[in-house]
Amino acid sequence: QSPIVMKMQTSWPASDIWMEFAKEYVTRVEEMSGGRIRVDLMPAGAVVGAFQVMDAVHDGVIDAAHSVSAYWYGKSKAASFFGTGPVFGGSATTMLGWFYQGGGAELYRELTQDILGMNIVGFYGFPMPAQPFGWFKGEVNGTADIQGFKYRTVGLAADLLQAMGMSVAQLPGGEIVPAMERGVIDAFEFNNPSSDRRFGAQDVAKNYYLSSYHQASESFEFTFNRDFYEDLAPDLQAILKYAVEAASTANTAHALRQYSADLAGLAAEDGVTVRRTPKEILQGQLAAWDALIAQLEADPFSKKVLDSQRAWVEQVSYYELMNEADLRLAYDHYFPGKLQG
Amino acid sequence: MPTFIRFADRLSAAFGHVFAWLIVLMTLGVSYEVLVRYAFNAPTPWSLDVSFIMYGTMFMMGGAYTLSRNGHVRGDFLYRMWRPRTQAAVDLVLYILFFFPGITALIFAGWKYASRSWGYAEVSVNSPAGIPIYQFKAVLVAAGVLLFIQGLAQVCRCILCLREGYWRPAEADVEETEAALVQDIRGDTP
Amino acid sequence: MTDPQMALMMLGIFIALVFLGFPIAFTLMALGIGFGYYAYFDPGRMWRAFNRLGEDADGWTLVTTWLEGLFNNRIFDLFVNQTYTVMANEILTAVPLFLFMGYVVERANIVNRLFTTLNIASRNIPGSMGVAALVTCALFATATGIVGAVVTLMGLLALPAMLRARYDPSFASGIICAGGTLGILIPPSIMLIVYAAASGVSIVRLYAAALLPGLTLVGLYLVYIIARAILQPSVAPRPAKGELPEVPRRQLVVMLLTSFLPLAVLILAVLGSILFGLATPTEAAAIGALGGMVLAVIYRAMSFERLRESVYLTVRTTAMVCWLFVGSYTFSAVFSYLGGEQMIADFVGGLNLTPFQFLILAQLIIFLLGWPLEWSEIIIIFVPIFLPLLAIFDIDPLFFGVLVALNLQTSFLTPPMAMSAYYLKGIAPPQVKLTQIFAGSMPYVGMVFLCMALMYVFPQIVFSLPEYFYGTR
Ligand code: NA
Ligand code: NA
Repeated sequence: QSPIVMKMQTSWPASDIWMEFAKEYVTRVEEMSGGRIRVDLMPAGAVVGAFQVMDAVHDGVIDAAHSVSAYWYGKSKAASFFGTGPVFGGSATTMLGWFYQGGGAELYRELTQDILGMNIVGFYGFPMPAQPFGWFKGEVNGTADIQGFKYRTVGLAADLLQAMGMSVAQLPGGEIVPAMERGVIDAFEFNNPSSDRRFGAQDVAKNYYLSSYHQASESFEFTFNRDFYEDLAPDLQAILKYAVEAASTANTAHALRQYSADLAGLAAEDGVTVRRTPKEILQGQLAAWDALIAQLEADPFSKKVLDSQRAWVEQVSYYELMNEADLRLAYDHYFPGKLQG
Repeated sequence: MPTFIRFADRLSAAFGHVFAWLIVLMTLGVSYEVLVRYAFNAPTPWSLDVSFIMYGTMFMMGGAYTLSRNGHVRGDFLYRMWRPRTQAAVDLVLYILFFFPGITALIFAGWKYASRSWGYAEVSVNSPAGIPIYQFKAVLVAAGVLLFIQGLAQVCRCILCLREGYWRPAEADVEETEAALVQDIRGDTP
Repeated sequence: MTDPQMALMMLGIFIALVFLGFPIAFTLMALGIGFGYYAYFDPGRMWRAFNRLGEDADGWTLVTTWLEGLFNNRIFDLFVNQTYTVMANEILTAVPLFLFMGYVVERANIVNRLFTTLNIASRNIPGSMGVAALVTCALFATATGIVGAVVTLMGLLALPAMLRARYDPSFASGIICAGGTLGILIPPSIMLIVYAAASGVSIVRLYAAALLPGLTLVGLYLVYIIARAILQPSVAPRPAKGELPEVPRRQLVVMLLTSFLPLAVLILAVLGSILFGLATPTEAAAIGALGGMVLAVIYRAMSFERLRESVYLTVRTTAMVCWLFVGSYTFSAVFSYLGGEQMIADFVGGLNLTPFQFLILAQLIIFLLGWPLEWSEIIIIFVPIFLPLLAIFDIDPLFFGVLVALNLQTSFLTPPMAMSAYYLKGIAPPQVKLTQIFAGSMPYVGMVFLCMALMYVFPQIVFSLPEYFYGTR
């Protein structure tokens, strides 16, 4: 019997490291299904643009997508909570825990299927390391320095930084460097040292600021056309679903190795100055989140999601933070003088 | 049939003309953005969205107008040498075979696409300004309907041409720039 | 029939239909949808709702549900999605603005002044009037980018003047045809925006890359005009005493300042702000349009009537170009879905060409396409077929783009669709024959090739400005 071909498009350019991460998912699906599913994996733009994958999965123009929820928050701001919501104190792992154990999955289903009427099912995987504040042509030392900057980010982070006085554009990853050259933006963040380096961030800006609250808890979103998914035999449905969990671990290991190597390369080979984001900006972000949360809570569904997330983080991160070994202390003990800020 | 042609031409021209003025708005709007960015260090969050909405609306709504003035590019190096009757016969078949199925698809699939967007009052993801784009998606349907009506008029033109042996011209409109220039110059230079 | 064979058939039918002269945008759209219906035909999913109907469903429900299934093909969603992608294309937003700028500037009564001034200023150069005509063409074409307008205007102003000065009609008309065509090449040009939108190459890099080749071509044209005037003085006689008004130096400077300078400043402001990243091409185009309006007001050439004309012509030309994109986005999505792109890549890969042979072959095909077709069709529809092949031969799409832009200069000059020659013939005095115009244009086709060869031998001409402005290639 010939295999079922699943057309899966990502929101990433072909050269992005995230295509390799998506490929890790594909390998798992194909091997676990013993070849009964074959995945045709395509980069952004192969069928539709990076921001249009949700519509395309709903229509069935593609069967599945590998993306992030911030890319479709034009349909509902609440979409962004499933990736780039407020930072109450939890990490991406904390928030992935919320999705699977804290009621997030049901809220996601309610938003996509009941509220928006999207014909999709979705899962989350790969809790991403917190995303750097990003790339600047010059030094930035405080909130005053970023006023009027045309800055690229996505999802609620865009609302957040707009509230801090930046003029924000959302662009797919593949369009960032051309946009810098065209003058559409003059500072940006994308996601991580590897992706940033591969699309050439270091060619258009030399100051890289790590650590930020704008997107500290994102994960990949895997969406499937609901008809496509439900027509599969139960064991194949299980494979598509649990391969997300399996790829999550594979992606994490891959990211730790590659992200760290590229960060070192950016500093050593590409002449990039790596710093931590100034505290004043981080405090400004938290204050901006406060205002934004108040605004978002006007919408009952958003309020419901935020309440659920807050309750989860209050309980879980208390445990995480109280329990956490002071890793900084240990690192400094064995590799003295390397950490800054 | 001539009445219908006149009606369709006027309808297409009316929409084309009205939406054409978006170019002036676009010129002023985008220039304003550049001004406030450099003079006041306060770029607008809406400039990008507003400019593609105006551009997209303008060319979509101008599609039927352009068709009525025979402005869509043709590979016409053979076509222009044929007698009008031959041209009309070929055009007639191709309108029925190619034009209407595509435009019908545009109307119905566009309807599905736009109505979903209306359902959740979709806004642009390009900026946090939240510029609505559901009305912009409805342009797909409006442009499709206008093209459909104009297409019917073109079919009427083909039929009349088959009968009469000459093409019914569109009503006087802005002349192709070259023609206007010739008039200008020949008019005021001896 | 296999899918790639279907793709080949799709392309074949398209080419055949182009010859029938039906508007190309709608031909592409229909073929995309028709073949897409086949490509996405999937009875299981299309009639899912029908297949799930229970035994008790009544006849009417059966019929309507079955019919719904018939139209439940994914190609329709893809088509709408692709159309919307063109509507929301940020690069293409610059197209109407540049067109508008062009239409406004061409109506600003500027050419007459410019030509007269340059004619007097260059009187001591051999072939002075030809040189003045070419420089006027180049400058005006750069500012407007509208070939038909430049050729027509110059044909009305400069051609009669050259004929009165006993210039060879063929020589004189060649200058105007070739000079008028430069506007689609020299940045800021709409053709390069369209290439950027079709290929994904950065538009600002393209502008930087095309600037020196464009100027090189102007240089070659000038060398040719002067050389012929020297070697064969009968084609371009020196102006006799008294033929040109004696203008004191100071007045000449004033004339240059009022004619040459405003246009040059406008062009440099638009181009400079793009290249230095101060403004996006869209923003620069808007500023350019605004500047054009101001210029027209200063030259007392602005009236509501003229503005209205410019506005209406802008919408028509924009619709023409962008509907072509609507058709071709759907067409090429289906073409590549059926495996057409891959098949062409495999075929060309199997020819074992060297990169140089491939480049020659590709440019030859584009040159030949330029005989019957116009640049917009070639760039939007045919160039994307070559683009995936560039990686195989390790050719930079930026370099390829500049070669294509140069090459397409010839499409205006080669019959049967030699638009420049037709525009000129339309307004030239009757004693100027079409064959004379063609003959006068041919040397310029040769110079385009020469310029392309120079690009190949000295790629720095293409790459040095992008490297200067943006560091890397
Ligand atoms: Na990010
Ligand atoms: Na030609």
